[in-house]
Parts: sequence; C-alpha cells; structure tokens
Amino acid sequence: MKKQNMFFRMITASLLRRRSRMIVTLLAIMVGATILSGLVTIYYDVPRQMGEQFRSYGANMIFLPSGDSAGITAADTKKAVNVINEKNIVGTAPYKYETVLINERPVIAAATNMSGAKATSPYWYVNGAWPEKNGQILVGKDIAETYGVSVGDEMKLAYAEEDEGVSNENNNAPQNKNELAFTVTGVLDTGGSEENYIFISLEDMASLTEKNTSYDMVELSVSASQDELNDYANKINNSVGSLSARLVKRVTQSETTVLTKLQSLVLIVTIVVLLLTMICVATTMTAVVTERRKEIGLRKALGASNKSIIGGFMGEGMMLGGIGGLLGSVLGYFFAELVSRNVFNSSITFQPLLIPLTLVASVAVTAIACLLPVRSAADVDPALVLKGE
Amino acid sequence: MFFRMLRGAFFRQKGKMLMIAFTIMLGASLATAMLNVMFDVGDKVNQELKAYGANITVKPKNSSIIEEMYDIDESDVKSAHLKEDELGNIKTIFWAFNIVDYTPFIDTRVRIGEDEAKLVGTWFNHHMELATGETLDTGIANLRTWWDLTEGNWLDEQKQGSENEAMVGKLLAEKENLRIGSTITVSTDNGSRQLRVIGIYDAGGDEDDYIYTTLPAAQQLADCSGLISSIEVSALTTPDNELSRKAAKNGPESLSVTDYETWYCTAYVSSICYQIQEVITNSVAAPVRQVAESEGAIMDKTQLLMILITIFSLIGSALGISNLVTASVMERSNEIGLMKAIGAKDSSVLGVVLTEIMLTAVVGGVAGYFAGYGFAQIIGQSVFGSEIEMKLMVVPIVAVLITAVTLAGSLPAIRMLLRLRPAEVLHGR
Repeated sequence: MKKQNMFFRMITASLLRRRSRMIVTLLAIMVGATILSGLVTIYYDVPRQMGEQFRSYGANMIFLPSGDSAGITAADTKKAVNVINEKNIVGTAPYKYETVLINERPVIAAATNMSGAKATSPYWYVNGAWPEKNGQILVGKDIAETYGVSVGDEMKLAYAEEDEGVSNENNNAPQNKNELAFTVTGVLDTGGSEENYIFISLEDMASLTEKNTSYDMVELSVSASQDELNDYANKINNSVGSLSARLVKRVTQSETTVLTKLQSLVLIVTIVVLLLTMICVATTMTAVVTERRKEIGLRKALGASNKSIIGGFMGEGMMLGGIGGLLGSVLGYFFAELVSRNVFNSSITFQPLLIPLTLVASVAVTAIACLLPVRSAADVDPALVLKGE
Repeated sequence: MFFRMLRGAFFRQKGKMLMIAFTIMLGASLATAMLNVMFDVGDKVNQELKAYGANITVKPKNSSIIEEMYDIDESDVKSAHLKEDELGNIKTIFWAFNIVDYTPFIDTRVRIGEDEAKLVGTWFNHHMELATGETLDTGIANLRTWWDLTEGNWLDEQKQGSENEAMVGKLLAEKENLRIGSTITVSTDNGSRQLRVIGIYDAGGDEDDYIYTTLPAAQQLADCSGLISSIEVSALTTPDNELSRKAAKNGPESLSVTDYETWYCTAYVSSICYQIQEVITNSVAAPVRQVAESEGAIMDKTQLLMILITIFSLIGSALGISNLVTASVMERSNEIGLMKAIGAKDSSVLGVVLTEIMLTAVVGGVAGYFAGYGFAQIIGQSVFGSEIEMKLMVVPIVAVLITAVTLAGSLPAIRMLLRLRPAEVLHGR
C-alpha cells in the first residue's frame, strides 16, 4: 500500500515539476493520436461520402416489368422501394414512354415525376427551368432544334391510339386523336439519347392518353455498394413478382472500381502518416528519457532497483500516453468533421470504437518508446552518471 | 572558434544530432510524399474515371433524329456519316495528349434468319501509327470496361481473318442459341456475311442485344465503305468553371480574345469538343454529360480531400519536429550558461546554436526528400499501379517548410535560455 502511494507520488510529482517538458511530450502524443483517429474516421467514411458523390452518375438500379406483365404499377413500385433502406435512396423516377405526334410526326414522350428525375439524373442540364406543375414540359435539345421551339413557347402534343408499334410513319390514320397544349419551361441538354425525348408529368400523360398509366421502367439512384445493391435486387425480385430489379452495370461496376482505389489511397496515406507520427512520438519520448539519466543515477544510488526505475518511467509514459490519446481521439473527431464539412458538406459518422483503439495505440506507442531508452539508462553506473560523464 | 564549436557539437553529441536529423527526415519525407501525391491525385483519379467510358461523342452534323430513331430514309443515310480516313486527325488537335482512347462506330440493322438485330462495327484493339510517329492502341476493349465476358475472348483485330468474327450480347446469344464457335449468317439488302462468334458479353444494358464486329465487315454490310456513324472519345479534362460554362452556353465566339485563348488552351471538355469539330468535317462533338459532369465533381472532391489531409499531416509533422527541436535546445541550458559566463554575446550564442540546428535540418531534409520520393512511389504503385510524377515545385515547398518549422521550434527556446542568468543555470537550479 505504502509502496504504491510512493509510486504515484513520484509519477505525479515528476509530471508536475517538469511541467513545460511534459506539456511538450503530451503535445507530441496528442498530435499523433489526433492524426490516427482522424484519418481512420475519414478512411471508414470515405466510401459513404464519396458514394454520394458518385450518385451524380445517375441511376444505378432500374426496375423493369418482369416476363409477361405489361407494366409496373405504382403499388408494386412502392413495395419494391420499401425493401431498400430509405436513408440510402437518393431518388426514384418512374418512366412511361409513349409516342406522341408533333405536327403529325412521331416523337417519344417520357412521362415522369420531375422531382424524381432531377434527383436520379443530377447531370441533366436544363436551359430554362424544370417544370413545376402540370401543363409544363421539358424538351430535349435535339427536338427543340428540329422543331425550332425555345423556352416559353407553346407546343401541341397529340396522342393517337395505335395498336402497332411506333416505327411506321405511314400508319397515321388515327381514330380518336387527343390534343393538348403545353408550355416549354426548359430545354434539356444531356449529350445522350434523352435529347430526343419530350418529358411531361405523369398526370399530363394520363390525361393525354386517357389511360391509367402504369410505368415502363423505374430508375433508382441508391447510395450503396455493388454487393448491397445486388442484395436489394435479389430481395426485390423474390418478394415483388411483377417487376425485376436490375443493376446498371456500367455505373455500379465503375463506381466499385474507382471507390476501391480511392479507399486504398486513403488507407495507404493513413498508414504512412501514422507510421511517421509514431516514430516522431517515439523520438520525442526517447529524448525526454535520455536527458533524465542523472535522475536515474540518483535513484539508483539511493538503492532503487532497475525494475522499479523502469516501472516508474513506464508509468509516467503510459499516463502521458493515456491523456494524450484521450485528447487526441476527441480532437481527431473534430479534425475528421472539419475535413468532411469542407469536402463533402456533410457531417462524419462518429466511430465510438475508435476512442479505446486510439487510447490503446497511443499508450502502447509511448510505452514502447519509453522502454528502450529507460532500459539502457537503468543499466548505467550511478557513480559515472552523477559525476557527469 | 565558431567552426571548432560546431564540429565539437556534432561529434560530441552525435546521437542527439542524429535523432533530430532523423525526426526532420521523417517530417520532410511525409511532406514530400503527401505533396507529390496531392499534386498528382487529380490526374490519377481522372485516369480511373475513364472506367465510365467515353465522355465525348462525335456525330455527323445533319443526322436528323427521326432518321436515327426509325431508320426510315435508308437511301439518304450516306449523307449523314463521318469519314473514316479523318479519324487520325483527332490525335492532331491541341489537346491530343489528353485523348486517351477513341473508337469509331457504324451500325446497321441485319437479319439473322427470321429475326432482326443491330450490328455494330467498331475497333476492338486497333493499332494506329500516327503522323507524329507515336503509336496508339485503342478500341472498345478500353471503353467498355464494365462488360463481363461470360464466354470466350475479346475479338483480336490484329489476327488474320478477324473480319469474319464477332462478339454477341448475352440476351441475343440466348435468343439465337449461340455459343462460342457457332456461326451466324447476317444479311442486309447489300449482301450477307458469315460471322464466327468468339465472345459473349454481359453489358447490363441495351448492348446485350447487339452484335459487335470489325469496322470493315460492318461497312460492307451497311454499304458504307470508308464511312462511320459516330465516334466515342475518352479524354482527360479539367473540371468546368465559369469560363467554360459561358463558352458552352453562348458559343466560343462570344468570348473576348484573351478569354478565348485561355479557354482554347485549357482542357475543358467543351474546348476539346470544339477542337475535334475543327478536324472532323461535318461533325458535332458533344460532351456526354453523365460522364463529363460527374468526373468534374468527383475529381474536385478527391483533390480537396487530399489537400486537407496533406495540410493536417503537415501540421502534425511540423509540431513533431518543432517539439523535438525545442526539447533539444532546452536541455542545453548548462552549455549556454557556461558560454555566457565566459563572456559570449547573445548573438554569438544564437549563431552557434542556430547554425548547428539548421545544418542538421538540411541533412535531414535532403534525406527526407528522397525517402518521401520512395513513399510517394509506394503509394502510386500500390494504389494506382503507376508512377507518381515528381513535381519540382515540391522541393522549394518542403525546403521552406522545414526551415520555418526548425526556426519556429528553436527560436523561442533559445530566447528563453538567453534570458536565464548564467550563475543560476550553472548552479543547477
């Protein structure tokens, strides 16, 4: 009991008496611990945060009517979407394609939910504004050029019921033709086939075709890895029979490739930075111990055993390591949060497991850094050290 | 005397000086590695993003949408094509170096027995000898990295008789019951051809219903020798900014002369498109927004992420170094006290200690630069499988950083020691 008291008194006294030096050491350990916990937090969060950025490539999952069903109903879509964790869904856009006539020439009109389309296809560049209410449409760039329409113009779309497909222009002898006028609010520029379409709202499509529309396809943008997406797709295919979920391979595959590279970049950088800061902490500790050779000599001269000297120094170092690690793990979280706010404009996920990990790591590093110089210092002859040689 | 003192310090305190040099070396190597990776990460990620395929498509100017969608005016089709012999020109534009891959396409509808299918002629692994003396191997093997070959191999264009071979999409192969080695007879109004299936791919999209074959075979079937219908170009680009948006919106003619020059000489996707249009007659080059736009966003984010990580690790290593320097200066209170007691002026004490530390820093910094070079290459090879380009700019940055950090670490400690009274220090208080 008494011995233990003495041990703690010696540790606290030496920490307090040599305040400035201890602060310097503590600072070194803290910086190391901050970098450790900060970078590891970023490493774990990079796939999630970057994954969200990758959603600007657009839909990575589509629902198609399976086998014999003619279309996808809104109810089935809802059922299928519910399978996916709501938090991960960036956007859902159902599409219904119909051929409509502009001046008797066939054009493909895509009916969709505009806010959904905006979320699933963030790369669409709309010259003008997105339609906000019914009666407004978005026109593909090629169509706008062909028909000479621009933002604000009015456009008449006609729908003629046809049994045959769309490919025959001569077959324009419609029985019941339904014509409605729309205002063009924006011209769509994508560099892809969407430039050949006209986008209208689902309600407008219903009133134009006078049919209750089911969807031809649903586009989903889900922030998840390829494996998770595969899981979702399998679950949906098993539980909702009338539609089949498919991954857009081009997007998912490429995203996996690039994300893996990015994550391993952060991992390697973390390892390199960590290694170097650990060595830095170790050298600082070594310097601190080495300059206390006199003290060691004195204690030995007073009859302390090598064991108790090593124990004392290790206790001191580990205490510093613990305090530094604790402070560092808190600071590291703020460091990661700062990076995340600046780069991704969103906050970082807190990893509670990292606090004990950082603590253990910093205590271990300081202990190892102390052990080597203390052991060699404990072996010295007290007479020589005290004499100043 | 000054030099003797310096020499003395280095030889007597070999261990301590080595330790300081070592810490400075670590800090310098960290700074070098991180800065080099940071400056190169944009290019590297840009290369990786090429996995998403082409970011520019080139089409004939007067390809009316109706023709394209419904194939009505078969007789009139030739007017809306690009010339095959102009393809080499793409590698002569100002930003030729940034063109990573490109490949032409010609497509036509063919009959397979009773059924119809789309047949596409293209390059697979085309070898080009450019006028500049360079060579380029390009083709869809590079532009369709997401294709999974379920059976067989990629078509090898260099092989004899490759014009009678084809790759078939998964869905079409199922429908027509095709396997590797089976022969399909495809016919158009212009003749027919027998193609041997050597690969079946899963593209996860419309292409699963197509047949891909060599350019000459498709041109013969479409009766369009020497003509192509579109070109896909994969180029390394700079993310869009205000200037490039203005140019894209109002046309390059609307820019002032200096703006125009800046725009033309920057690798914006719009300026590369413009330059391609200049060398391919009758063409319209347009960015594929899905790819071009997202590339910019992701590159910006990655770069910013790396910059912040770099800054923080630089701060970390700076603190580490200055810490150690402070510690090593502080413990020399005895020596400094003695120097002052025998009459050394403050400035000469400062001179000796600083020169000592700075010499150590230079040694550590130079060693650290080369160690950092090694670290950067390890990162480059293990992550991207390619070398990280060493930027000369890093050298002065690291030099300034190390000097500043060492000075910042030693000056306050020295000033504190100078304020001490020699008698007290020597007495051991």
